[in-house]
Amino acid sequence: MSGIAHAEPRRIDIVRGEFAKLPAFIRRDLLTLLSYRMGFVSDWIGIFFQVFLLYFIGKMVDTSQLPTFGGRSVTYLEFAAVGIALGVFVQIGLARVSTAVRTEQMIGTLESLLVTPTAPATIQLGSAMFDLVYIPLRTSVFLVAVAAVFGLHFSGGGILPAAIVLLVFAPVVWGLGLMSAAGVLTFRRGEGMIGIGASLLALSSGAYFPLTLLPSWLATVAQLNPLAIALKSMRDAALGGAGWTVVPHALAVLVPSGAVALVLGSIAFRLALARELRLGTLGLY
Amino acid sequence: MTTSASTPSRARPAVGAAKATRRSADAAIPAVEVRNVTRRFGAKLALKGVSLRVHAGTIHALLGPNGAGKTTLLRILTALASPTDGEVEVLGSHPGGRMLKSRIGFIPSGDRSFYLRISGRENLAFFARLHGLGRRQALDEADRALASVGLADAARLRVASYSHGMQKRLSIARALVTTPEVLLVDEATHDLDPEGGRVVRELVSELASDGTAVLWTTQRIDEIRGFADRVTLLREGEVAFTGTVPELMAHAIPRRYLLRIRNGGPNGPELTERLQAALAERGTIAAHGGLDNYVLALADEAVLGDAIAALTATDVDVLTCHQERSEIEEAFLHLTRTVGT
Repeated sequence: MSGIAHAEPRRIDIVRGEFAKLPAFIRRDLLTLLSYRMGFVSDWIGIFFQVFLLYFIGKMVDTSQLPTFGGRSVTYLEFAAVGIALGVFVQIGLARVSTAVRTEQMIGTLESLLVTPTAPATIQLGSAMFDLVYIPLRTSVFLVAVAAVFGLHFSGGGILPAAIVLLVFAPVVWGLGLMSAAGVLTFRRGEGMIGIGASLLALSSGAYFPLTLLPSWLATVAQLNPLAIALKSMRDAALGGAGWTVVPHALAVLVPSGAVALVLGSIAFRLALARELRLGTLGLY
Repeated sequence: MTTSASTPSRARPAVGAAKATRRSADAAIPAVEVRNVTRRFGAKLALKGVSLRVHAGTIHALLGPNGAGKTTLLRILTALASPTDGEVEVLGSHPGGRMLKSRIGFIPSGDRSFYLRISGRENLAFFARLHGLGRRQALDEADRALASVGLADAARLRVASYSHGMQKRLSIARALVTTPEVLLVDEATHDLDPEGGRVVRELVSELASDGTAVLWTTQRIDEIRGFADRVTLLREGEVAFTGTVPELMAHAIPRRYLLRIRNGGPNGPELTERLQAALAERGTIAAHGGLDNYVLALADEAVLGDAIAALTATDVDVLTCHQERSEIEEAFLHLTRTVGT
């Protein structure tokens, strides 16, 4: 129209360009987080209160009820610390991914984002990216604090394999978050359902108590929960000294789970966004 | 907000002049073309067969009362909504493509399109990065754009501390960051004071003079005189008028005038009765706001000169006479059929 050739860039360049935008989202959210100084400080204080709480609860728990890892008995604090760390990652990650677009909609910036040459998936991922980086960092500090203050015994050789398991588990959370995001975009008030979903996932994961305490049929079903599989692998690695031996099994289960969750989540999110554009209700909340 | 933002002094960049020259070759081809677009929301038709064209380097005002369909049309042009029927082309492409989006600027009507907890500079740099600029370049462009709209002094303040006018200028700065070929503006001045509105119009005029095609929606009808090149008037989703501002004003049929009348004696009901008797079938006259002010409403076939002559024949002086509403307002009301409501 303007007489200037505007050649479409190659797909690889588009993907690279989209990834290059992610740090901008991280910076935006970091600056926003830092602008709420009191919230930032109280969050970190809360972590240390949580550690103390777990310590005293752990004193009441009969450790013989807990599973062994690599033949080694563990304390409740060791057992729960890994579970809670991963559980919190799932809960916050799921909530953040699923409500990222909704939050932009609520504060009025969604339309300004969508008129930029940025893919909706990038906006969705970008809006959750900071938390996907910040929460594992926060989780690591939590685990280090627990280990340092209460003298927990994590296997040194198991830390990296546990981190790998956490990394391959992230796409599962992202995929589930995208599905939830589609629901939130369509039904507006979906936060309650996300909370229930996250709680069910955590309940059937063995994060807070061994799955053997569940009714047998439920324990069988719960063993298919990707969170439970990730959790067991991480505990085996970090507490039982199983090291890298847990990684192949975890990869075999979590990579396909993540792929399926991501594909389904992407389809659901695209459909929800297309519906909003068709109805012209994207700006309504 | 204590910082006073300096007066905008946007120097026209050389690249803009080159762009204007470049685009003059394409002047016959519209930058925005809307053909017979219909948009339905359930049972309600928000747009009914709307067509319009906006050329490079021109400002096209999209005028209409609330609910006329202005924002719906802008949302279609920015791919935030799709038309139920009809065709839309922006710079020769259907809205929504990545390449096209990088060539369009959008100024939304509300204030809530920025991150209030971070600075204006960081906001602009963020949106510039979404247009593909690197961090350093994004910050440089943000600084340049902020200076262009007179917000350099407020660059590092949180947007939450900006006034309405400053946020609106920040919106324009966001559009400037990418030097858009098409600028879509949704009621940019509706909540600004006259001076704030003037500043925003000036900035947009400069962009247009650099070659940008501007579609400017508004319901502040008087602002389009001397600003817009063409006007499309929407009424209940339909085009009620399209043409130039003088052509729009030609639709004005002023029938109501404000008169200031000097009388030797008191201006009581007796004087009003006397004036009305003199007017006879030419129209009606009524006191307006006390003192010497009256409203003259002419009958359909009456001539203003005859009416004034009849009034002065009663030994009063008609000191001033002007239209109650501007010609544009008269045309707007005439075309939207809301006179007297």
